[in-house]
Amino acid sequence: MRIGNYALKLEKRVTLSGWGAALISILAILFALLLFSLLFILADINPLAAYQAIFSYAFANPFGLPLAINRFIFLLLCTSAFIIPFKAGLWNIGMSGQLFAGALSAFAVVVAFGGKKFANPYLSPGLLIPLMLLAAALGGALFGAIAGFLKGRFNVNEIVVTMMLNFITFWLVSFMIKEGGPFMKSGGEGDGFELPSSIFGPLIKGIPFTIFIALGFAGLLYFMFAKTNIGYQIKAYGLSPAAARYAGIRTFMIPLLVFVMGGALAGLAGYHYFAAVPGLYKIPTNYGYFGDLAFYGIICGLISQGNPIAAIPVALLFGGLSVGGRFVQGQLHMSFGVDYALLGVLMITLVAFQFFYRFKIGWVKAGKESLDVGIPG
Amino acid sequence: MVLAGIKRGETVLEARGITKRFPGVVANDHIDFEIKAGEIHAILGENGAGKTTLMNILFGLLQPEQGEIYMAGKRVKFRSPLDAINLGIGMVHQHRKLVSAHSAIENIILGHPQAGKILNLKRAEEEVQGLCDRYGFKVDLKAKVWQLSEGEKQVVEILKALYRGAEVLIMDEPTSALTPMETEKLLASIEAMARDELAIVPFITHKLPVVLAISHRVTVLRRGKVASCIKTEHATEKSLAKEMVGREVIFMIERAMVEKGKPILQVENLSAFSDKGFLALKDVSFSICEGEIFGIAGISGNGQNELVEVLAGLRDAQRGKVILDGKDITHASSLERWRMGIGYIPSDRIDVGSIGDFSLVENVAMNYYFDHEFSRRGIVDYGDLRKLTEEIVSEYGVATPGPDVKAKNLSGGNLQKLILARVLSRKPRLVIADLPSQGLDVGATEFVQNKLIEAKKGKAGVLLISEDLDEILSLSDRVAAIYEGRFMGILPGEEARKESVGAMMAGLRLEEHEL
Repeated sequence: MRIGNYALKLEKRVTLSGWGAALISILAILFALLLFSLLFILADINPLAAYQAIFSYAFANPFGLPLAINRFIFLLLCTSAFIIPFKAGLWNIGMSGQLFAGALSAFAVVVAFGGKKFANPYLSPGLLIPLMLLAAALGGALFGAIAGFLKGRFNVNEIVVTMMLNFITFWLVSFMIKEGGPFMKSGGEGDGFELPSSIFGPLIKGIPFTIFIALGFAGLLYFMFAKTNIGYQIKAYGLSPAAARYAGIRTFMIPLLVFVMGGALAGLAGYHYFAAVPGLYKIPTNYGYFGDLAFYGIICGLISQGNPIAAIPVALLFGGLSVGGRFVQGQLHMSFGVDYALLGVLMITLVAFQFFYRFKIGWVKAGKESLDVGIPG
Repeated sequence: MVLAGIKRGETVLEARGITKRFPGVVANDHIDFEIKAGEIHAILGENGAGKTTLMNILFGLLQPEQGEIYMAGKRVKFRSPLDAINLGIGMVHQHRKLVSAHSAIENIILGHPQAGKILNLKRAEEEVQGLCDRYGFKVDLKAKVWQLSEGEKQVVEILKALYRGAEVLIMDEPTSALTPMETEKLLASIEAMARDELAIVPFITHKLPVVLAISHRVTVLRRGKVASCIKTEHATEKSLAKEMVGREVIFMIERAMVEKGKPILQVENLSAFSDKGFLALKDVSFSICEGEIFGIAGISGNGQNELVEVLAGLRDAQRGKVILDGKDITHASSLERWRMGIGYIPSDRIDVGSIGDFSLVENVAMNYYFDHEFSRRGIVDYGDLRKLTEEIVSEYGVATPGPDVKAKNLSGGNLQKLILARVLSRKPRLVIADLPSQGLDVGATEFVQNKLIEAKKGKAGVLLISEDLDEILSLSDRVAAIYEGRFMGILPGEEARKESVGAMMAGLRLEEHEL
C-alpha cells in the first residue's frame, strides 16, 4: 500500500516477548469493543453507557460479581482442559462432552450413596464431596481417553472424535435427567434431581471452593510445562511428533495422557457448575447452555497462547463479559443475545490480531527506484 | 523475446549491484554477475552465502531492494517467475517441482503457452524427443513422473525449461542426487547445450570437481558478497575452497588407523518394510567393530532409511536380528537403545533431528531428558542442561548468540553441529550417521567428518550412510553399497575404488564386474 511518498511495509517478526504478546491482546480487546459499539449505535444505545453497565455489573456489582466468578472458574477449568492437549499439538473440542460425563459421574456417586432418596446420604459429606470430585475427574478423563487412545493407537482425528462424543454425552444427559431417567427430579420439569444441602459444594466467602482447584491446576500446569520431564515430552510431541519419536518419546502414550488430563479437568468443570455453584446444585434442563459456554475454553486457550497462567485474566474477562452482556441485554431491552455476540466479535478480533504476533507493520519512504514497475521489451 | 538473435559470446544476462536484506542479515550485498551466450558460469558458495537468494532474484521469486537486471543489454524487472520465464530464463530446481501422477510429457507442456485448450501431445512429444536426441537425454516421455529416478526427473525439468524456450538455464545443485554415471551423462548434456549458445548457471555448494570439470567461469559468493570471479582454468579445488570458506581447507582426510576392537553391532539377515508396505530392506547382514567406520554407499531411497530406522528402534524388523554388544536388541524400544549407547544422527535434521521452535537447550534435552543426571523425580534440570549446552556449543563451534535462541534460527551447518554435539557428547558405543554432511558446505563437512573420526578413535563403532562417494571412500574402513534394499558387496576401505563402488550403487553385484 502506498500513501504519497510512503509505503506500508510488512516485516516478519523474529522474536516477540511475552509482554509484547500481552500488549497485542489488550489492543485486540479494545478494538473488538470499538467494533461492537457499532452494534450498540445501530440499536440507538450509547456504547459507553452500555460498556459501563456491562463491566460494572460483571466486576463491581454484588449480584453480578459472584456470577462472573462462577463463570470464570468454569471457563478456567475448560481452558486448562483445552491447553493440555493443545501443548501436544492436539485439539480438544470435547470439553462440553467431558464436563457432562464428569457431572453425570459425580451425580452417580450421590445416587449410589442414597443422596437422591434421602436428605442424609450414607456417607459423611467430608468423604462424599471428595468422592464426587474424584468421580467427576474420572468420568471426564474416561471420555477424554477415548479420543486420546484412538489418536495414539490408530491416528484417528481427535477433533472428530471429541466432537462426536459431545453429541453422545449431550443425549446421555438428556436420557438421565428427563422423564423416567434415573437422575430425574421427582415431579420436575426436565430437571435433574437436587443435591441434598449437606453435600452442596462448600463456599468460601460466597465463592465456590472450586476456585482453588481451578487456580491450583493452572499453576500446576504452568509448572508441569516449564519444569517437568513429562511436560517436556508433551511439548516436544506437540511441536514435532517425528522429532519426539526420534528422541525416544512414546508417541502412543502422549495423546492418551494429555486427553486423560484434559478430560479430567473438564470433568471438574462439570462438577463445579452443577454441584458447587450457589442456586443450582442440580443438572438443570438447560444444561446445553453450559456445554456451549465450554467452547469458550478453546478461545481462551488460543488467546493465552497455551500459557495456563495467562489464561487466568482471559477467562476472567470472558466470564465477566458473558454475565455482563446478558445483563445489559435485559436492562437495555436489546433484541439480540449481547453475551454471545460480544464474545464472538472478541474472538474474531483476537484471532485476527494473531497476525501481529508474526508480523509488524512499518512505514518506509518509497524511493524513486520502486516506483517504476514493468518490463521493457 | 529479448534474446532472439543473440550470438555466441554476447552477454545474455547481467545483474548489477543486487542487494537484498532479510531481518538481521544482508543476504545479497551488491552482487554483480554476468553470463554470455554459450557460457557455463558456476556460482559457488557455502550455505548462507546468499546463493539461494540470488537464484530466486534471477528467477523472479524475490525482488531485489537495489540493483538492476539486464537481458541482452536491456533493463528488465521480474515481478514473478512468469516474467522471467517469458523472457527466456529456465530453472531446474533441486527439489523437483513436478506433478508426480502425470507423465513426463504432460509435465513438460504444463504451463506452456501453446498447450492452450486443446492438447496436441503428439506434436509436443515429437518436438521434445528432438531436444532429447540433440542433447543426449534418455527418458521415457510417457512414463509417470513417480516412476522416474531422481536423475530422470531432473532431465524432465531441464526439458521443460528448454521446451519453454529458455536461453538461460539456472540449475540448483545439478549433481547432488545423481550417481557417478548419471553425473557424467548430465555433464555431457550440459556441454552440448552450451555449444548451442545456451547460457547455463549451475549453483553449487560443495561439489567442486563438477565446477572444475564443466564451467568456463566461476563466481564465488561469501557472506552475501562476491568473493571472486575467475576463469575456471585458473582455479583449483583448493583455491575455490579457500575463497568460499575464507581460509585454507584440508581436503584429504586422514583415515586414522585405529586398532579394531571387538564387534559392537551385528546385523543378521535383516529385512524391513517401507512405509508404503513393500519390502525395502532385504536380507542385509554386516557387523561393526570398535574403532571402525562402516560406510554404506547408495543413492537415497534404496533402503538406507529403513535400515537406519530399524537399527534406531523406530521401525520393526520384518525378519532378522540386531545384536548390540552381544545382546539381542531387535525388539528393544528406541529409548532403551539410546540408553544402551546407540547415538543416531538422522538425515532429516530439520524435522526429525531437531525441533525448530525449541531453544538450543531444549534441543539438547532431546537426547538427555531421560538421563538421571538431568532428570530427577520427574523434574528436568534445565540449569545443568544449559551448562551442558553452553559447553558443547563452544566445543563444537556452533555459531549462535546464546543457548536460548530457537533452533530454527540456526543455519543448516550450525544445526548439524548442534545435533552432532548432542549425540556425540553422550559418548555412544555405536554412532549411526545418516547423510551427516548432506547439504553442508565445505567447512562444515570437514568438521563433521573429523568428528566422526574422533568418535572412531574413541573406540566407538560408526555406521556412515552417504550418497557422496568421496566421503564414503575417504572415511570408511569397510565399504558396502546398497541397491534396492540389498548389499551389492562389501569391500575393505583400501580396496574400494570409485568405479567399483559406483557400479555397485547402480545395481551391479561385486562379483559381476571386474575390480
